[in-house]
Amino acid sequence: MQQQLLNAISIGSIYALFAVGYTLVFGVLDILNLAHSAVFMLGAAVTYSMVVNHGQSFWVAAALGLAIAAVMGLVIEHVCLRPLRRRNAPPIAALISTIGLALIIVAAVEQGRPEHPYLAWLWVDGANSVSFPISALPNPTWHVAGLTLEAAKVAVIPISVALMLVLGYVIRYTQIGRGLRAVAENPRAARLMGLDVDRMISLTLVISSALGGLAGIMFGLAQTDISPYIGRDNVEVKGLAVIVLGGMGSIPGAVAGGYLLGLIEIVALLLFGSNVRAGVAFAALFLMLVLRPQGLFGSSLSEKV
Amino acid sequence: MKRLHLVGWLAVAALVGACGSTGGGGNSGANAYQGKTIKVGAILSITGAGGVYGPQSWEGASFAVKQINASGGVNGAQIALTKNDDASDKAQSAQLAQNLITQEQDLVLIGPTLSNSAVAVHPLAEKLRTPILAVSTTGIHIVPDCNFPETTPCKYVFRDSLGEETAIPNNIKSYAQDKSPKTGVLLVANDDKFSSDGGKIVESSVGANGITLLKTIGFKKAEDVTPYVTQAVQLKPDVIFITSLGGIPAKIMIEARKQGFQGQFLGGNGFNTATVSNQAGTYGKGARSGSAWYLGNTFASNKEFVTAFKAEYNHDPDQFSAQGYTAIKIIADSAKRANLTFTDLAGDRDKMRVAMEKVNIDSPLGPFQFLPTHDVKQTTWIIMMDGAGGFTLVHEIKPS
Repeated sequence: MQQQLLNAISIGSIYALFAVGYTLVFGVLDILNLAHSAVFMLGAAVTYSMVVNHGQSFWVAAALGLAIAAVMGLVIEHVCLRPLRRRNAPPIAALISTIGLALIIVAAVEQGRPEHPYLAWLWVDGANSVSFPISALPNPTWHVAGLTLEAAKVAVIPISVALMLVLGYVIRYTQIGRGLRAVAENPRAARLMGLDVDRMISLTLVISSALGGLAGIMFGLAQTDISPYIGRDNVEVKGLAVIVLGGMGSIPGAVAGGYLLGLIEIVALLLFGSNVRAGVAFAALFLMLVLRPQGLFGSSLSEKV
Repeated sequence: MKRLHLVGWLAVAALVGACGSTGGGGNSGANAYQGKTIKVGAILSITGAGGVYGPQSWEGASFAVKQINASGGVNGAQIALTKNDDASDKAQSAQLAQNLITQEQDLVLIGPTLSNSAVAVHPLAEKLRTPILAVSTTGIHIVPDCNFPETTPCKYVFRDSLGEETAIPNNIKSYAQDKSPKTGVLLVANDDKFSSDGGKIVESSVGANGITLLKTIGFKKAEDVTPYVTQAVQLKPDVIFITSLGGIPAKIMIEARKQGFQGQFLGGNGFNTATVSNQAGTYGKGARSGSAWYLGNTFASNKEFVTAFKAEYNHDPDQFSAQGYTAIKIIADSAKRANLTFTDLAGDRDKMRVAMEKVNIDSPLGPFQFLPTHDVKQTTWIIMMDGAGGFTLVHEIKPS
């Protein structure tokens, strides 16, 4: 049971970190950025590729992975969101355009082969699942009191918590945070007050994507699984479940929702068996939607970010 | 005297003609197909969950085409092989098959990569009377009952990939004889046909080999496998059986070893590629499976294939490459004997089916023939991962 609890907290940390990025964009723009799962994958894929194919140290590679994820935030804003915003397109249009970008990113990565003229620098393993070589970053395993403690899986917990606390502080107490909250509350009023709204939105996408990319890198390390599909298969729908559980647009809600989903999945597995794990998790989500549609930490828009 | 000479020449001509004939079909002559094209459509999973296997099948098949065309083709005809990626999606696979059969008018198809897709594609090929040769599908009800639960044998569906119904029991039996394990846990991906079929075969095979199955743990490939592995390891089995696709077996091995599992992993066709062995690395050392092919086999048809393949691609082939390569050799041999007209497609497809039933060639898989069920009749090579991305041969089990 203790081992399963640890499993739940470890994967819950990744769900939470991923969902914080998801919910940040929703809080500010009121749209779902469904390219977030592709950025999650890209962070892991770039880091892996820099280590294995370009001989970089893990830390340099992770910094590059993070940087490319952040740049993808700008791409999402300038390609998928801003042009639609200028045309006053409905939120569903942005949803579709981000889905399109996600599909393009995943398809591009899965085409990566050693002989590919444009993509070989990014990815050479096609559809395959790979993992960081042990030499890239030592990942010792300890056995303590019947528990298996694997460094990468344990480390994701404090790293995620620390990052989420930092983000919470930035949003609540800094100039940037106040700007983001102003845009979330009323973009028009924020613009009239002299705020560069487009710049604040770009910044939101950059922070969100960096968090998504970091979650991907940590997933790749902890779960020893990096492939073009890790975002789509592991966090895309679950990330949505997490932000609904926690309350759409709420950062504390995304954190709580991430851990809650991790726990629900494990409890479902232990109580009802493996075949119904996902079903029970989404049954809990359904219950939440029926009993408390605003989620655990649901609040008015002005308080979301 | 002159009449006697004439009879003599006729007898010699008849003898030469007979010697030129191969297999059971007629002789089409060395250049009878000159200027023609034999269209073959390959439906493979280049991307998606089957993307671990499809590219290897393609390498093997396209290499065989290159070799055959370079050496004059099939009775002078060139083989045109097309790559069609079904993205590991059953519906897409069926759409491709429909297009290749009706629009592209291919003579014969190979594939699809996954058993899950085969249940949609093979009945379609059967209905449209087009020969299709499975090169990697190992699940149950592939041949001859492609229309399962209907039991009428499918006439146009063939398989050159060793079925799990043969490979998994052989593997379990040989490990039981070697190590006498008492208990096992089965980890089975229950969201695709190949994996769930494999799970059923494990469940029905363990008892006869003195192994008690402590638990069957089903999961979905898109989930984090850690909690499932924890469940399995905490039962302290002697063996963990894994039936799953893609990178999942390697993930399970890595996770189980990290959680302290000391026993051995037994699996099926999902293990049999260097990609999976590479992914598992040292954590996979000793993991056993029944394979249709072994890299180190020294008989001529394999040795020549391995050498030429390495020269072409700068890396070793794997089982899927060998099966893809063999598929094209089967098709070429059959086409050679089929007296194709190239004007009557339906008739030519029927002639191919009949010729394929009589194929008898040497291949990298060994001497190759089809059983009356259109399944492959061949040796099972029990192999184990060497911990360095390769495999070591443990046993050789001849077909009964």
